[in-house]
Amino acid sequence: MARIYIFKRFERFWHWSQAALIMFMLATGFEIHGSYALLGWQKAADLHTTAAWTLIGLWLFAIFWHFTTGEWRQYIPTGKNILAVMNYYSVGIFTGAPHPFRVTQLSKHNPLQRLAYLLVKLFINPLIWASGLAYLYYNELAATKWAASAGLSLGSIALVHTAAAFMMLAFLIGHLYLSTTGHTPLAHIKAMITGWEDVESDAAAVTK
Amino acid sequence: MKGKFTLGVLTLMLSAGAMSAAQAYDGDWKRGRIYYRQVCTVCHTTELKKAIGPNERTQAEWAAFFKNDKHGKGKDTVKHFFSKQYRDSIKATNAAAAKFAAVPDNELLEDVKAFLNRSAKDGDAPAGCS
Amino acid sequence: MRTGIFMAALMAAMLLAPAVDAASDPGSAKLLKSTADHSQFKALQQEFNSGPEVTKACLSCHTEASKQLHKTEHWKWEYRNAQGQLLGKKTLINNFCTTPVTNEAACNICHIGYGWKDDSFDFTSEVNVDCLVCHDSTGNYRKPAGLAGNVVTKEMEFPPGSGNIIKPINLKKIAQAVGKTSRDNCGACHFYGGGGDGVKHGDMDSSLASPDKALDVHMDALGNDFACSTCHMTQGHQVPGSRYAPTAQDKGEAHLRGKAYKTNPTTCQACHGQAPHKKIAKLNDHTDKVACQTCHIPKFARGGIATKMSWDWSTAGKMGPDGKPLTIKDAKGHPIYTAIKGDFVLGENVVPEYLWFNGTVTYTLRSDKIDKGKEPVRINHFEGSAGDGKSLIWPVKIMRGKQAFDSVNKTLIVAHLAGNDDTAYWTNFNWEKAAAVGMAAVGEPFSGKVDFVKTESTWPITHMVAPAKDALRCHDCHASGGRLEKVRGVYIPGRASDHAGWLDTTGWAIAALTLLGVLGHGLARVLASRRNK
Repeated sequence: MARIYIFKRFERFWHWSQAALIMFMLATGFEIHGSYALLGWQKAADLHTTAAWTLIGLWLFAIFWHFTTGEWRQYIPTGKNILAVMNYYSVGIFTGAPHPFRVTQLSKHNPLQRLAYLLVKLFINPLIWASGLAYLYYNELAATKWAASAGLSLGSIALVHTAAAFMMLAFLIGHLYLSTTGHTPLAHIKAMITGWEDVESDAAAVTK
Repeated sequence: MKGKFTLGVLTLMLSAGAMSAAQAYDGDWKRGRIYYRQVCTVCHTTELKKAIGPNERTQAEWAAFFKNDKHGKGKDTVKHFFSKQYRDSIKATNAAAAKFAAVPDNELLEDVKAFLNRSAKDGDAPAGCS
Repeated sequence: MRTGIFMAALMAAMLLAPAVDAASDPGSAKLLKSTADHSQFKALQQEFNSGPEVTKACLSCHTEASKQLHKTEHWKWEYRNAQGQLLGKKTLINNFCTTPVTNEAACNICHIGYGWKDDSFDFTSEVNVDCLVCHDSTGNYRKPAGLAGNVVTKEMEFPPGSGNIIKPINLKKIAQAVGKTSRDNCGACHFYGGGGDGVKHGDMDSSLASPDKALDVHMDALGNDFACSTCHMTQGHQVPGSRYAPTAQDKGEAHLRGKAYKTNPTTCQACHGQAPHKKIAKLNDHTDKVACQTCHIPKFARGGIATKMSWDWSTAGKMGPDGKPLTIKDAKGHPIYTAIKGDFVLGENVVPEYLWFNGTVTYTLRSDKIDKGKEPVRINHFEGSAGDGKSLIWPVKIMRGKQAFDSVNKTLIVAHLAGNDDTAYWTNFNWEKAAAVGMAAVGEPFSGKVDFVKTESTWPITHMVAPAKDALRCHDCHASGGRLEKVRGVYIPGRASDHAGWLDTTGWAIAALTLLGVLGHGLARVLASRRNK
């Protein structure tokens, strides 16, 4: 086994604060939706809004970071090996077969991850962001001629926002579980904390 | 002799001054109503769980109450509850006492008398607790 | 010599004493706000034997006053609404005491005139305008029931032979102390609408004469101390803000001095503008759908005085074991049944009902046909809907009743209730006789058949505004089963009945299946790793 440094400091900071914010917003969001009572509606709504602005701020930094560092390329989808990876998670993982994908600094996500994260970044996130802002600024929006002619109602905005939240919830559950599928259950999580991932020793061990 | 005379004049002058003030003042029943409701009634309600409605007494009974000047079966005087000292003691928690902190004692007393005279059982506008 | 100077100084001090005394006395040092001391007017320095005599004296200076008052609803008791319906106390029927018609001697003590005892009242008479009922500041002015709004200046027994003595009032003293209208003046009638303290409106009763801040943040006697006219800004005796012409939604700015406005000055917005919430700006986003009153008047009848919530006339007329008209009282001593009126339900600290209201109120008039199959009959109906662009969600009191109607002609009945005569219901408990006289008086046909029908009337809740800290909280409406549960046509986050059921079901199902899937996968991994060892 060797160790390579794949998650940079900002990347880790972004990941974990985003994780905390998303979980918090799911909790407060479903309270606002009326699924349960936890903090009290007003507090839930206040904190949900504050967390939303924080997350938007974080995203702006993250987008900037992805483009300036070229890390956005990590999410370009690829069909190469995708079947092998799928085969690994449905069969190989139970038989003790090695993971068909090798992590490198230039390619830190397996093809399935690339696809999943791209979906989150290009579909779920924008959907949540746009519907959330429309929700927050519904009064201003409703006052525009455009919204009136489109018949845009708070109910339909809320519907989209809630649907996106359910998608995020499903992603979160899957993501949390898959983080335990490293060579030890905590391996991936450790890597996300320290930045250092253990890789098979025959891989080129690049150190800082 | 001369000293006694001076003292006499002084006493006369002071009492004349006091009397003229008392007589000149015509009770303001609306201010009396506020004081009665927000000081008397509030305290009776919290301390005794029961307040006395102005219409539970006749005009004569209210007049006698003020004349006898006995409150709480003689524990205190009635006047005490119209004094600046009393208002000072409760003004932190009582908005009426705070607002009327500077009103002369006798004026406030006259105000409440005017209100009760009007609102008594046999008054022109009998009034209950609220 | 020295003593002399001292004495002289003392004498001077004595002479000055009263002046000094007066100056230090905050009461007498007060600046009079009025330029006129009415006690100094010659016209008022006389003994008055009747109300009209006082009015005549008033008119000797205030020459235009009666002409102004003749134009008001307060005088005419008539109002034609935008739909062309003739409203006003003269013609309307409600589900409290129903109507003053044929009961003028009792009811019309709340007319701002003297002597309206029947149809013959002269509405053009200037001296019949009652100035004092609105401008008395002594609180001693009285218009006893049964005297058609006249006042008593000499001790009299009324009704004759009853042994009930009415004490005279001193019109001279009252006239010399006139002032601006106060809550007590307006309240003398408006607090007692429906025949008793707090009966009709629910948001207006005698507790508002001298309220504390918790009861009404504007009228707070120790704080803002608003008079009614502070909001109902009256010019030329024309009082704005009538219930007959309500403003449901005011999109105007806060009124500035010097600018001319044609809009209703009594709305909240007329002072507070469109974005009154400074600390929590999100609250301003509610004003497109929700009337200020909805959140800021959390409950009505909050001042310790109960309001009537329902009134069933159909049970009236029961005699007690002693053969006398029966009265039943509740634990607090308030009547909940009287033989002359029937059963009541009273309410204190009542949570309002909420509905969309666009300012249009349609009434069931006494000539309108009603359908018992469609109970309850709506005596008046607040119109509005979520989508009409003019409506807001308003708090209202809905008065529920059961009252007499002509079962053949299908109209509400005007009954002669009060009076010392053989036909008055309150004297002899005969509906047919009372209805025959009442219907004849208003010129409506009467079949002779009396039945009872359920009715509803709606009253806007707009007084008893609580301090901000007592306003409704988010969760009062943003929840299932909250205050606005029955109000449809608006998406309220947190209200389950607004959810798209399929989305919630699908969403939770997907989340649950994902969870189940990963748990199964994990379990299989554990089992597999054990076997592989």
